Amino acid sequence: MKFKINRDHFTNGLAQVLNVVGSKATMPILSNVLIEAEKDHITLTTTNLDLGIRCKIKAEVKEGGAVTLPVKRLATIVRELPNVDVTFDASPNHQVKLASGGSNFRIMGIGKEEFPPLPEFGDEKSFTLEQAELTAMLKSVAYAQSTDETRYILNGVYFNFRDGKLSLVATDGRRLALVSKELEVPATSAGAIILPAKTVNELARMLDKGEKLKISFNDRRAAFQINTDKDASGLTDSIYLYSKVVEGNYPNYQQVIPKETHQRIKLERELFLQCIHRAALVCSEKSNSVKLKLTSNLLEITAQSPDFGEAHESMAIGYSGPDLQVAFNPSFMMDPLKALNKDEVFFELKDEVSPGVFKTLDSFICVIMPVRLS
Amino acid sequence: MAKVRILPDRVANQIAAGEVIERPAAVVKELVENAVDAGATRIEVEFRHGGRSLIRVEDNGGGMSRDDAMLALERHATSKIIEADDLNRLTSFGFRGEALPSIASISRFTLQTRETGAEAGTEIVVNGGRLVHVHECGRPVGTRIEVAQLFNSVPARRKFLKTDPTEAAHIVSGVRLYALAFPRVAFTLIEDGRIIFRSPECPGLVDRVGEIFGRQLAEGLVSLEAEEPGLRLRGFIGRPGAGRATRHEMITFVNQRPVDSRTLNYALIESYHESLPKGRYPAAFVFLDLDPAAVDVNVHPAKREVRFRSEPAVRSFVIRAVLQRLRELAPAAGPATAAPVAPLPAEPVLSVPWASAPALSQGGAIVRPVFLPPPPAPRPAVVASSAPSPAVARASVPTETGRDSIAAWRYVGRVHGVYVLFETPAGLVVIDRRAAHERVWFERLQAEFAAGSVASQRLLLPVPVELDPVATALLLDRLEFLNAHGFEISEFGRNFFRIEAVPAWMEPAGAEPFLRDLLGAVREGRFPDGAIGLAREELARLAVAKAIRLPEAAGEAELRALLSQLFACRSPLSSPSGRPTQIELSVGELARRFQK
Ligand SMILES: Nc1ncnc2c1ncn2[C@@H]1O[C@H](COP(=O)(O)OP(=O)(O)OP(=O)(O)O)[C@@H](O)[C@H]1O
Ligand SMILES: [Mg+2]
Repeated sequence: MKFKINRDHFTNGLAQVLNVVGSKATMPILSNVLIEAEKDHITLTTTNLDLGIRCKIKAEVKEGGAVTLPVKRLATIVRELPNVDVTFDASPNHQVKLASGGSNFRIMGIGKEEFPPLPEFGDEKSFTLEQAELTAMLKSVAYAQSTDETRYILNGVYFNFRDGKLSLVATDGRRLALVSKELEVPATSAGAIILPAKTVNELARMLDKGEKLKISFNDRRAAFQINTDKDASGLTDSIYLYSKVVEGNYPNYQQVIPKETHQRIKLERELFLQCIHRAALVCSEKSNSVKLKLTSNLLEITAQSPDFGEAHESMAIGYSGPDLQVAFNPSFMMDPLKALNKDEVFFELKDEVSPGVFKTLDSFICVIMPVRLS
Repeated sequence: MAKVRILPDRVANQIAAGEVIERPAAVVKELVENAVDAGATRIEVEFRHGGRSLIRVEDNGGGMSRDDAMLALERHATSKIIEADDLNRLTSFGFRGEALPSIASISRFTLQTRETGAEAGTEIVVNGGRLVHVHECGRPVGTRIEVAQLFNSVPARRKFLKTDPTEAAHIVSGVRLYALAFPRVAFTLIEDGRIIFRSPECPGLVDRVGEIFGRQLAEGLVSLEAEEPGLRLRGFIGRPGAGRATRHEMITFVNQRPVDSRTLNYALIESYHESLPKGRYPAAFVFLDLDPAAVDVNVHPAKREVRFRSEPAVRSFVIRAVLQRLRELAPAAGPATAAPVAPLPAEPVLSVPWASAPALSQGGAIVRPVFLPPPPAPRPAVVASSAPSPAVARASVPTETGRDSIAAWRYVGRVHGVYVLFETPAGLVVIDRRAAHERVWFERLQAEFAAGSVASQRLLLPVPVELDPVATALLLDRLEFLNAHGFEISEFGRNFFRIEAVPAWMEPAGAEPFLRDLLGAVREGRFPDGAIGLAREELARLAVAKAIRLPEAAGEAELRALLSQLFACRSPLSSPSGRPTQIELSVGELARRFQK
C-alpha cells in the first residue's frame, strides 16, 4: 500500500476521526485508525464500538491496501511534518514509512483484520436535514443533558420524528429543553431515538462541512451521512458517523411542560444574561441560587452567600401582574440564554414552587425547576 | 458430694430450648421449617408483641396422627432421620427432633393437627413442658401451632429480649427468607392483626422478590445460572453499579436452607469488587445446591451457619459464576475488567487501615501521619475536645502546618488523581482529596442544617420509590425530618413514595439510592429518635460519603481552593469518618531516610 497525500488534508482528515478511540486496555486496536487506500482517496475509520466515524480524503494512490496506526500519535506527527507533500508506504508486515521533506518515520502498525467492522446498515427510517439548522437545534438543547452516568437514559438528546415535526429534547431531571421544527414525517418513518452525549458532541463538531445531512436509524443504531461540499481541505464524498443509541424509554416530556401560562415577561436576552451572571458572582457552592422578584414593571435579581456578601440587580420590564418571587440555580437560567441567538426571550413564571419557562418565537421551550429554602 | 442424676426430660428440654430457641424469631423459624417439611403449600404466620405474647403458624401440610403428635413432643423424636448416616443425605430442615419439645417446655403450647385421610384432628396443650390435655378436635388437614407466653417460665431469657419492634423485625426478616426459598408456597405474615405481607403462590423467585422487596428492586436483578459437577448456583443478582448500603438484600440459601455463610458472602462481595463502589453490597438472592454430604449444617444449634466440606471449591465456583455473569452484562466498550483469573482459595485480604498504626512502613519509608487518628488502643493524651466528630489528637501536628501558613505552601501536583502534593516550609504534605472534600462538605452541610437554610431543588420528574413495609414505617417516622432538610418526599399509596425535591447538592438520580442508604442506616439504629443534632450529623456524614461527588477534573486553582477550605474547617485533619485528610513528611525525616 502506497500513496502520496497533502499534509494539511491528511491532518484535517485525522482531526475528524481523532476523538473516537476505545479504551486501550480492553482492545488496543481501538486506539488505532484504519487507513484504506483505493483509487483517488484514502478512507479513515475509527471506532470505540459504540461510535464509529469514517471520512475520505483525496490522495494519489499508487498501490491500494490497508493498515491501522495509533491515531493520536499519527495525527501529532503528520501535523508537524516539514513539507506539505507526504508519502505513506506500508509494507506487508504493517510497518509504515512516512516521509516528508527531510523527515522519515517508521511506525509499527497492526493489520486491518483485527479492526472491528463498522455496523452494516440496511434501509432504515431516514430523513434529510440542513446542517446549519440541526447545529442550531442541538446547541439550544444539548446543555440540558444529564452528565450523571447513573441516569444513562438522560445522557443524550432525544430525537423525535413524529406528527409533522422533528423535536429534540434534553433533560437532567431538574430542567428540560425542547426545540422543534416542521418536517414531513410519513407515518411509516415516524420514530424516536436517544442519541448518546458523545455522539451529539461529535456530530455538532462536524456539522459545518456542507449543506445537507442524512440521518438514518433503527431501534439500536443511528447513522449520519454528512455532506462535505463546503469543505475545501481534502475531504471528499461524505463523513459517516455510526452510533449506538441509548436503549430505553425516554421520559414523557410533554407532561412536564406547563400547559398554562401564568405571568409572562419579555426580556432582552443579553441584558438579562449579564444581570444573572453578575448576581451569581457572589454565589458559593453552598448557596447556589439566584432570586427573582417581580413587581410592577420591575425585575429584581438578588443573590447572597453568608460567607461572602450579596448582589442586587434591577431591570425595568413591562409587567403588571401580581408581585411574585422565585429562586433558580443561576446556571439553569444562563445556559439557555447563552445558547439562544434571538434578541428577545419570554420567561413565564407562576410562584415559588412552580417551574420557570423560557420561550422564543421559534418552537423553543426550556423548563427549569425552582430552588427553595426549606 | 452431690449424686449424678439423669435430668428429668422437662429440665433437659428447657436446657435444649436455651440453645435452639434464643428469641421469638427462632420459634417462628422452627415452626415454618416444620410446615415446609410437611409439604405445605400455604403457610400463615401470625404474631403479637414481637412474638412474646403469641406466635401462630398454620399450614396445610400432611398433618400428624394422634400418636405421632404425642411422639413429636418427645425429645429426639423425629420422622426425618433414622440413623446418623442420614445426616449426610439430609433434604429436610428438621433432623434433631428437638424443636417441638423445646418450644413446648418454655411456653403455653397448643398443637392442632389432622393427618391426610384421618377422620378427625387432635389437639394437644402443653404448658411449660407439662401436658395439660389431649383431645379430639375438628379442623382441616394440616397443622396449627400456637405458642403463647413464650419464655414466661424462663425469666432469665425473657430479660434478654429486645424491644418488641426489634424482635418483630427479626421475625419478619426470617419469614421472608423462607418465602424466598419457596416461591411456590403461599405465605401470609400478620403482626398485631396487621398484614405485613401476603404473597400468593408465585411462578418464580423474581416474582416473590418483587412481592416482598418491591418491584423496583426486582426489576434491577438479572438471573444467574451456573453449574459445575456437584455444584449448582441459581437465582438473581443485582446489575453492576447498583449497590446497596447494607447486606439486607444479600440473601443466600444452601440446598434451599437460608444460611448465613461467610464463605458465600465474601465470594459475592468479592465478585462485585470491580462492579460496585467500595462499601456497597450487591443485591443477591442466590441458591447453592450441592450434595448434602458436602455441607455440614449441624454446626450451630440454630442451624444458621453451614460449613462446606470444601470451602475453597465452593468459594471459587461462586466467584467464577458471578463474575462470568457480570462480564456478560458489562457494556462492550465499558471499563476494562481484569482478566478472568481463577480466584485463589484464600480468604480475601482485608486491608488494615493504616490509621491503626502511628507509623507506617511503605517501601522502606516511614511516613508519619500529621495526626493520630482515633486509635483502637488507648487514646493519646492530648485530645481536641472541640471536634464533634472523631476526636483528633493534635499532639503530633507540627506547628509549621498551622493554618496561617498554608499560603506559603507550594503546589507540587496531583498524584494518582486522588492525592495532592504540597511543599511546605517544614517538608512535604500529601492531601487525600476525597477525605478533604468530605470534611469540607461535612462542615458546610452542618452549618447549613444549623442555620435552617437548606436549598432544595425541585424535580421535573418526581422519583417514585417503592419500599418494603419495614422501610415504609421507618421512613414515615423520619419524613418530617427529611423534608426539613432539603427533601420533599410524599407518600402516595401503600409503600409508595415520591421524591419531589432533593437537597440542591444532590443529583436527582442519587436521590433514591440515598434514601435507601439512609433507611439502611436508620435500621441500624444510626438515627436515634428525638436526637436532632445526632440525626443531622448522621445525615451530613451519609451525604458526604455517598452523595457528594468528587469533581473529576481539578487543576491547581481548585486544589488550592480545597486546601484553604479545608483549613477553614473546625477539624481539618480528619474526614468525618475519621480518616486522615493529610500526612506530612518533614525535611528532617527525609534527610534521615536518605541517611544524610
Ligand atoms: N407442621 C407439621 N406438620 C406435620 N408434621 C409435623 C409438623 N411439625 C412437626 N411435625 C412432626 O413432628 C416431628 C418433630 O418435629 P421437631 O421440629 O421437633 O423435630 P424435627 O423437625 O424432626 O427436627 P428439628 O429439631 O431439627 O426441627 C417432626 O419430625 C415431624 O414428623
Ligand atoms: Mg423441626
